[in-house]
Amino acid sequence: MEKVTGSNGDFAVTVRKKARYVDEDLCTGCGACAEKCPTTVPDEFNMGLGKRKAIYKYYTQGIPSTFCIDAVHCRTFQKGKKCGVCEKICQAKAIDYKQEDKILELKVGAIVLAVGYDLFDAAKLPEYGYGRITNVINALEFERLLSASGPTEGHVERLSDLRDHELIHSGEKKLKKATKTLGKYEKKHKKSSADFYKEFTAGNISDGDEFAKWAKQYESVQEATKKLEALKAKAEKFDVATRLAFIQCVGSRDFRFNKYCSSYCCMHSIKEAMIAKDHEARTDAYIFNMDLRTVGKGFEEYKVRGAEKTGLNYVRGRVAEITQDENENPIIWYEETTSQTPKSLTVDLAILAVACEAPKGIEKIAEMVGVELDHNRFFKTDPLNPLDTTVPGIFVCGCAQGPMDIPESVAQASSAASRAAEAVAGKA
Amino acid sequence: MQYTTDIRVIRLMCTGRMDPVIMADAFIHGLDGLLVLGCLFGECHYVSGNFNARHKINMTGEMLAYAGMNPGRLSFRNLSSAESELFVKHVTDFSTEIRELGPLGGEADKVPLPKLKENLEIAKTALAGPKLRWVVGKKPVFVDTGNKYHEVFTEHEINRTLSGIVIDEMATHSILAALQNKSASVKQLAKELEIPPPETLKYILGLKRRGFVEMESVKDHTPLYKLGASP
Amino acid sequence: MEKEELRIGVFVCKCGSNIAGYLDVEALDEYASALPNVVFTQWNLYTCSDVGLDEIKKGIKEQNLNRVVVASCSPRTHEPLFRSICAEAELNPYLFEMVNIRDQCSWVHMNEREPAMAKARDLIRMGVAKAALLEPQEIITSEVEVRALVIGGGIAGLTAATSLANRGFPVILLEKEKELGGMLRSLNRLAPMDVDASEVISKKIKEAEDHPNIDVYTGAAIDKVEGFIGKFDVTFSANGTTKDVRLGVVIIATGAGNLVPEGMYQYDGQKVITQWELEEKLKIGKIDGNNVVMIQCVGARSAERQYCSRICCAVAIKNAILIKQMNPAAKVYILYRDIMAYGVENEEELRKAKQLGVRFVKYDPERPPVVEEDKVTVFHHLMGKELELPQDMVVLSTPLIASEDAVKIANLFRVTLDENKFFLEAHVKLRPLDCATDGIFLCGSAHYPKDVRESILQALGAASRASIPLAQGEIKIEPIISTFVDRDACRGCGLCVALCPYGALEIEETDEGRKANIITVACKGCGVCAATCFRHALGINSFTDEQIQAQIHGFLAA
Repeated sequence: MEKVTGSNGDFAVTVRKKARYVDEDLCTGCGACAEKCPTTVPDEFNMGLGKRKAIYKYYTQGIPSTFCIDAVHCRTFQKGKKCGVCEKICQAKAIDYKQEDKILELKVGAIVLAVGYDLFDAAKLPEYGYGRITNVINALEFERLLSASGPTEGHVERLSDLRDHELIHSGEKKLKKATKTLGKYEKKHKKSSADFYKEFTAGNISDGDEFAKWAKQYESVQEATKKLEALKAKAEKFDVATRLAFIQCVGSRDFRFNKYCSSYCCMHSIKEAMIAKDHEARTDAYIFNMDLRTVGKGFEEYKVRGAEKTGLNYVRGRVAEITQDENENPIIWYEETTSQTPKSLTVDLAILAVACEAPKGIEKIAEMVGVELDHNRFFKTDPLNPLDTTVPGIFVCGCAQGPMDIPESVAQASSAASRAAEAVAGKA
Repeated sequence: MQYTTDIRVIRLMCTGRMDPVIMADAFIHGLDGLLVLGCLFGECHYVSGNFNARHKINMTGEMLAYAGMNPGRLSFRNLSSAESELFVKHVTDFSTEIRELGPLGGEADKVPLPKLKENLEIAKTALAGPKLRWVVGKKPVFVDTGNKYHEVFTEHEINRTLSGIVIDEMATHSILAALQNKSASVKQLAKELEIPPPETLKYILGLKRRGFVEMESVKDHTPLYKLGASP
Repeated sequence: MEKEELRIGVFVCKCGSNIAGYLDVEALDEYASALPNVVFTQWNLYTCSDVGLDEIKKGIKEQNLNRVVVASCSPRTHEPLFRSICAEAELNPYLFEMVNIRDQCSWVHMNEREPAMAKARDLIRMGVAKAALLEPQEIITSEVEVRALVIGGGIAGLTAATSLANRGFPVILLEKEKELGGMLRSLNRLAPMDVDASEVISKKIKEAEDHPNIDVYTGAAIDKVEGFIGKFDVTFSANGTTKDVRLGVVIIATGAGNLVPEGMYQYDGQKVITQWELEEKLKIGKIDGNNVVMIQCVGARSAERQYCSRICCAVAIKNAILIKQMNPAAKVYILYRDIMAYGVENEEELRKAKQLGVRFVKYDPERPPVVEEDKVTVFHHLMGKELELPQDMVVLSTPLIASEDAVKIANLFRVTLDENKFFLEAHVKLRPLDCATDGIFLCGSAHYPKDVRESILQALGAASRASIPLAQGEIKIEPIISTFVDRDACRGCGLCVALCPYGALEIEETDEGRKANIITVACKGCGVCAATCFRHALGINSFTDEQIQAQIHGFLAA
């Protein structure tokens, strides 16, 4: 959205439809392009825990089922690189590198702002070590780890283990390449590198740059092999993460950041813990909370079931600090307030229930449409007219109005539609 | 994502559509394994179809096992439409399980072919009959709101009743099948069908009362029974 | 009736290389041509392209095809398209069958060409076997009476009625009490906006009463309900007269009731009262004494009533603030288990209460507070010691409980209640305002305890949902629904009626005796009835026993 003019019942909206470089009418969504695309980038949908290609779909079930090119990473769009693989592979002839942004002029009677929310950046809380301690993650990252269609196919693994697996993978690749180089020397001089190196270190071969390089190469291969072996030995002991700590109110109910309660986090933590337990029966999960706000239909029952049937541990207390041990296991330091004792707990993963915040750029949208924000940066509404912004004909729904869970968002979306329809009918 | 080529998919709107007769019929026609995949419980796209399916599949499995088939050949598993990896796991697991069992009527089954198919035909007739279908159909109602005397049953109670009916139905339909082309005494039937004579007598009398069988003649003080003329 | 000769056409799609890269499509095409009743086959590069679609139309016209099978991708994405193409070529769209040899074959068996080919052949054979038994179906349309019924004249019902009326839809609003307004009539002030509840509700009442599109009936009771979405026939009585009306949609906004905590914490309605009773005292501004102790979760989150009533913490906080504002010297304690100050405003109110000096004491449900003549004893869960709090008044926060009429209304409209007798939504997350039965919607505390803001929100949402059939004026339904395969066999036993989750079946007296009647517009085609009927009288269009068995037999016949 670039510009909004007019008023209730008669708005003119200018929208920039970004080029996707793939013709929506021709693309069959088959995915042959993504399979062959040579550029790999971190997958934002999987919170950067997985990889995607430069031609991609945000996620599998997305609608429309059309691919798009990420011009920032695509080789064809980057200077000096020829690629065009996707164009060659696409039998439907859907790739169009020349596609341009389109400007749409829309005439509408009412506007609904459903711009959603952003996650609180847990790195702002230094005491929890997010971004510094590898195995401290946020709830959405954990959600991706739990997902059967996520980067680990639903196996909850420590992020440090995933990192090590990745290191082994890239290390093997590098080693293979380096060994190949050694092979070239060996072929040329008809001598094994080990034999050569023995002679070289004994001082029998001294002249020539090439031999020095060979020796250096051999040394680095030896060292890399050693490192890789060590890493592999370590990786053999890797297990799925079974000790989980869920930390509530990270960035919510916190005077430094957001004073409000983010509403949905208690339930998602309980849910995530229960699913984790379902995936792996050995799971031992702790939920650190101030109050467990189980205020929806069936929520309290779910919580009780979580404790009784699934064996979740609800711990009343706000976590003071998270550190890590020599195995990169997070250590949770907290006071169990019901027994007034400071305690610590070592876990495999610490999962932060981060706050729901108004999205970045909400100020820009507010300015464009002329509506006010409240002191928490959400769109301002009046509790008795909970969908109406400060401008008639412009309505809000979902977390852009304040934190809420899925059923509330869905219900509110219907409500906003009702208000918009009333506005179009000239009655709002 | 790749998975076994062993499976053939038949699309239904809801697993609630799974009719016990269709399941029995599939095995009669030589299917080695039938996997029913439906929504997760509590997340049924058709509200409660998968619960109904579970009742029917459990009952059918019990019936077919009683007929001599390995119960592992019929299975109900659950997943959501977003869980492709789980789909792969389910079909891969099931394919492995069925390959271990081998073809229908082999060592894994209690009764070998062709006798197994005869038994399955009898089971199919029973599964098409009113008794089992009525009780399994009413099961959610009995467990939820109770019968018309407001007696609410536990799932365990209903299952016990169903198990009893499975045995009775299999026996009575076996007797009817045995009397298809001949008349026989209780003793003969008991021996042929391996049902204890007192039980056989009980079934025969029940069938006689409802007109399904009638006495043909008395030979050496032993009554011979045949199929009834007009049940 | 003479059976027409079957002329099946099979179109096998290469989907570029998506299928052809892993399967020999031309060989499949040849294989299909030898199958029974198949008179025409063709492979296409993309069957879904304009060229491919034209070929289907040409096949139907030139080859007189009366069944079409396309072996390609998923019906999820492409079945509607192929169906519409059949219709364009004047072939009934339900004489079309789709076989998935891409998503379920070529894509998932990329390295096993021969087993994958065998599977593709099987799938095509199964599809052809089913196609041979397909029957033409017609889209079902049913008119919608453009009028809504809103049951309940509280904040939710009034808001829903007014919203629909503003959009030009006539509304009948029924209220069982003599006056509109519901619970809000008895409340004092509303948080967080700190307005007078009666002011809010009287404005809403006036708006509804004055609205030309709303007919309000107070003192009303519903006697009888028949029909289904678009055509609900409702008989109700109000003030001694009985009326019959036809309505297109229904919104249930019957609200909730208050739990009276008889026998708990020395409740007497005088010195130990409920929050509800406190509201009345606050309304007249009469609070005796300085020491007030509030106890949360009285009769809630317990063994016999497990749910959390959502709003009581906010109510207690609001009333504590009001007491402190009236009398800053008052000592107000709130004994709680978890403070459910969810969201932005409630948490703000909680902070405000703390700033005003309201004391919060966490108690353990294992060691609940004890109310005595002049004091309340409570084990402070966080301090680990017993406290004695002097009291002049004890206020019990009791949950909202299901309305006493819920069961009656649910039975009349054949909708479901949850285990706490609140109305059950069709889908917890995706359809929070719909009942499973089409054309019936719900809002407000009838669904679950709600504050005013949430009730208004839900009411507008329910109005929005209800306005869809009203605005469309008719309902169009895919005919993949329950049907009689043998109506004579039906004895009207009613088993199918008991099992149908959509209220789409009913028993009617006919000239041939008691028979089931399928309410086609309400049916979703799950097939539970067909799989249950012991008379084998029912089936599902395009998923009949014969068709499903034909697929299985087709597979095993190889």
